[in-house]
Amino acid sequence: MDRRHFLRVTAAAGAGLLVSGTASCATSASSGPVTQTAGTVSIQSNLSAPAAKAAIEALVKAFNDRKGSQASVNTVASETFRTQLPSYLTSANPPDLYTWYPGALLTGYEQKGLLLDVSDVWQTMGDYPQAFKTLSGKVFVPTTYYWWGFFYRKSNFARWGVTPPKTWTEFVELCKTLQGKGVIPLGMGAGSDSPWTASSWFDYFNIRVNGAPFHRELLAGKQRFDDPKVKAIFTPWREVLPFTDPNGTAIGFQEATTALLQGRTGMLLTGAFFADAAPKDALDDIDFFRFPIIDPKVPLAEEGPTDGFFASSKSPHVKELKEFLTFAATAEGQEIYIRNSSGTILPTHPNAKDSGTPLVQKGRQHLKEAAEITQFFNRDSSDALQPTADAR
Amino acid sequence: MSNRVFHAVAGTISVLWLLPIVAVLITAVRSFDDIAANGLASLPRSFTLAGFADAWTNGGAGAMWNSVLVTVPTVFLSLALSSAAAYALSRFEIPGRRSVILLMLAGNLLPPQILLVPVSKLTELLGIYDTLIALIVVQVGFGLGFYTFVLQGFMRAMPNEVQEAATIDGAGPVQIFWRIVLPMTRPALAALAALAFTWIFNDLLWAITVLRSSSVMPVTPALLALQGQYVSNWNVIAAGSVIAAIPTVVVFLRFQRHFISGLAVGAVK
Repeated sequence: MDRRHFLRVTAAAGAGLLVSGTASCATSASSGPVTQTAGTVSIQSNLSAPAAKAAIEALVKAFNDRKGSQASVNTVASETFRTQLPSYLTSANPPDLYTWYPGALLTGYEQKGLLLDVSDVWQTMGDYPQAFKTLSGKVFVPTTYYWWGFFYRKSNFARWGVTPPKTWTEFVELCKTLQGKGVIPLGMGAGSDSPWTASSWFDYFNIRVNGAPFHRELLAGKQRFDDPKVKAIFTPWREVLPFTDPNGTAIGFQEATTALLQGRTGMLLTGAFFADAAPKDALDDIDFFRFPIIDPKVPLAEEGPTDGFFASSKSPHVKELKEFLTFAATAEGQEIYIRNSSGTILPTHPNAKDSGTPLVQKGRQHLKEAAEITQFFNRDSSDALQPTADAR
Repeated sequence: MSNRVFHAVAGTISVLWLLPIVAVLITAVRSFDDIAANGLASLPRSFTLAGFADAWTNGGAGAMWNSVLVTVPTVFLSLALSSAAAYALSRFEIPGRRSVILLMLAGNLLPPQILLVPVSKLTELLGIYDTLIALIVVQVGFGLGFYTFVLQGFMRAMPNEVQEAATIDGAGPVQIFWRIVLPMTRPALAALAALAFTWIFNDLLWAITVLRSSSVMPVTPALLALQGQYVSNWNVIAAGSVIAAIPTVVVFLRFQRHFISGLAVGAVK
């Protein structure tokens, strides 16, 4: 083959590339590159569970039906969302709003100048308790929160002839009784993709023994993990360790709920989303009790993880997105959201109605009695602690 | 006797191999309440096809279409480009062609994870971030090296006489490529097409790197999106996985014959 032939071949290949290149462009153009419609607020959502997805879609629909600004929601897997959030925020044309939670991670983004100051929206949220305000800073608008506790089946407790404990001694007694009946007293579910369930145990022991302020400082990196106070929490923990599910680190959260529902385990320290993992006919049979008081001198603290929205500082739709946030912060918006969700969450607006089930009302009371609210291990943790806290 | 032992061992391995697939199929036809109450591992106590309907309407249909829109042009484009490149590299004395081939091979040894951020930024600079074009470009780019390597190995094995005869008959390089080399490469092309189809259809990493809108997501991230933050409907996810597996299974069944012969021929040139 001489040089001329070679050149001709190259030219042919180049032409081929061009032809097929345009062909592929034409194909994909029909599916449409997603560009932001002018004026429409784009909401990037990690609420991929069916009930939560339906809820945010209902909220957006209600917002759009007001004939004001328009919004559209884009749901991606929570796992995808978590890993891609930095690239969303730093992209040239980021989504306007994001579902997320307050915490050290958000503060980190705020310090990098990636988040929009939404203090204006807070002007409309005068009724909100100070605690939410402190938690959110200038960049976050909370919409819902939920509670943690020891969940159990009422019918099983009745069958075993036991009642929910109040104090630590009663709790240990209860564990002993259940074990005597051949039931594993404490479920765990820290296996497969949910090692975070074990973090709740650490959180609770720490806020019961050392109190919420110390706990927050510890996770924020202002206290040391080898402090004798931290070591002290393992004394009560060791006491109940023999009552914990030996498969606790082997099975995941959802299997642990099944074990509880079937009565193989007695109780499970978990969040209110537990109700989403239960079959509908078991919902009325589910109840919870407070993590027992260990030291009565420590002010009562509870975990109450808060969820809501924040906005990108690069958004060209500042006015529109604030309109949406304002709507999401109203009692009306939150009632729409909760009505369309699985219902076991609490509205952050003090006057918004919750779903009204006995479980939810008890949950609301449960958090109201607490002097201090912590978020959760990963949410309260500093940047440096995130890899540990986010382990899945 | 040894025959019986062989069958027993092979049978056991086959059953073990098929067990996860059977588990997925069974989970797909159970109801969520059944799974929640009795656990994933229990025997099914319900039968419903609602999971399939759920998966299909919950973004499954659109995602399947997106997957097709990405996979078909990508397979076509990468094979067209790489067969042209392989033709040049295998049939012509191009200076430094060994280096070119080695470079392409070396590109395959690079773990894609280290390129995630650059690729994401690059698509943004090009203004194609969050479009299917971006995914097609990236998939073609990353597949090209391997396909070219396999095809040039295959084309090198073709007897020189065929090409010489064609030249004597007055065929130019393009004509030789189009009428002689390409038809003779068909087994390898079919095998690669089947492989490429599976790889691209099942890819998750690039899809979530260059896309962020659920409306353009192909089927793999859509499956992931069926998982909730805390609680997942395993029946819907299993049903979605079954649906998502159908196209690749069909392609493999269709190309099975070529697949085995094509790869073998490419391997021993």
